[in-house]
Amino acid sequence: MTGFDITGWGMSVPGRVVTSVEIADRFGVTEDWVVSRCGIRERRFVSPGETTASLAVEAGRAALERAGLTGADIAHLIVASATPEQLSPATSVFVQHELGVAGSAHDVNAECSGFVYGLVTAAGLMALDPRPILLIGSDTHSLTINPADRDLSILAGDGAGAIVLTPSPNNWMLAWNLGADGSRADSLKIQAGGSRMPTTEETVRKGLHYSEIKGNEIYLNAVRYTVRTVRATLESAKVEPGEVDHILPHQANIRIINSILNHTGLPADRLITNLERYGNTASASMPIALTEALDDGRVSDGELLLLAGFGAGMTWGSVLLKWGGEPT
Amino acid sequence: MELPTVEELADQLQDVSGAESIDVDAPLQKISDVDSLDLMEWLYNFQSEYPHIPADESLFSDMDDTTTLRTVHGRIVALVAQPAAQN
Repeated sequence: MTGFDITGWGMSVPGRVVTSVEIADRFGVTEDWVVSRCGIRERRFVSPGETTASLAVEAGRAALERAGLTGADIAHLIVASATPEQLSPATSVFVQHELGVAGSAHDVNAECSGFVYGLVTAAGLMALDPRPILLIGSDTHSLTINPADRDLSILAGDGAGAIVLTPSPNNWMLAWNLGADGSRADSLKIQAGGSRMPTTEETVRKGLHYSEIKGNEIYLNAVRYTVRTVRATLESAKVEPGEVDHILPHQANIRIINSILNHTGLPADRLITNLERYGNTASASMPIALTEALDDGRVSDGELLLLAGFGAGMTWGSVLLKWGGEPT
Repeated sequence: MELPTVEELADQLQDVSGAESIDVDAPLQKISDVDSLDLMEWLYNFQSEYPHIPADESLFSDMDDTTTLRTVHGRIVALVAQPAAQN
């Protein structure tokens, strides 16, 4: 089975900074209240003209440049997103066109787990067709938030992150685990705009085109499922929590992240997080945090990096990478 | 069936939230240093410790400014009593 190297990475966030002071003022609470709830001090929101695809293109371009490749070298493009460019066609085709990707293009929607799902999908695709793959996570959830919804307004941010995978005899992915529980689909949702509830004047009047969250359910099950997936992946790799060098969770909420660390025994001092500056950027949160960590030289060859996340659905997933890989 | 006392629930919630003290008869929404995420963290721990008790987030689904920890404890007692009553 062909393995892969991660040879490129990049990110893109909108220029517009929205502070927690600004959001706190809107809801009559304090910045401290916002930070105590989620750990976020600021996030980026798209401005007119910036979209899920435009952010993805910028992140993808940066990753390609880092890898020394162009779109023409890419055999497969995967875009993980839950906030598509439009309902149809897929966001990935807009990105494919802009980047001049020579090969296939498809989307993965596993909400905030999308990047992990995309990475496992890419690894499988690499085994079938050992040619370069561009994987991008991009989301613009600021556009799905009801301005009157405090719980979601304090969390969401926009952005995109990307990695390039190139074929290699090395094995980077030591273990992985994915899962879903559709009985929890009601916990975080956008009801209108699909086949179950096409958009009408009434759905817009009722605000059903906005995201809705049951925060308590999400917290409880995000912790539950992420703890399970982390344990499954580490057990599969026969790796103890204390042996993991870097923990890169979905940047959802610092309270959830801390709970996951606490219940899994993963060392808190090995946490990679930039939640404070970007908020919850959904499918983009992991590749953005990864890009910053790599650019800062925080991850070295031979080190173990654990990616773990959860998303609406609910979905969850984790991947244990050995940076630089090991001979197969 | 093993069942925690309301005072034990208070100790658990205090550990999770870092609150200086928990008055079991005070409305949960008015206890400083305790918020809904603390309650969920407490619930997660409770579910792990007492897997035989079918407690879930519905314990707090209709929480208002009169709901106390003693109220929650009563709901847990009812959950445990329910299957026995049905047998």
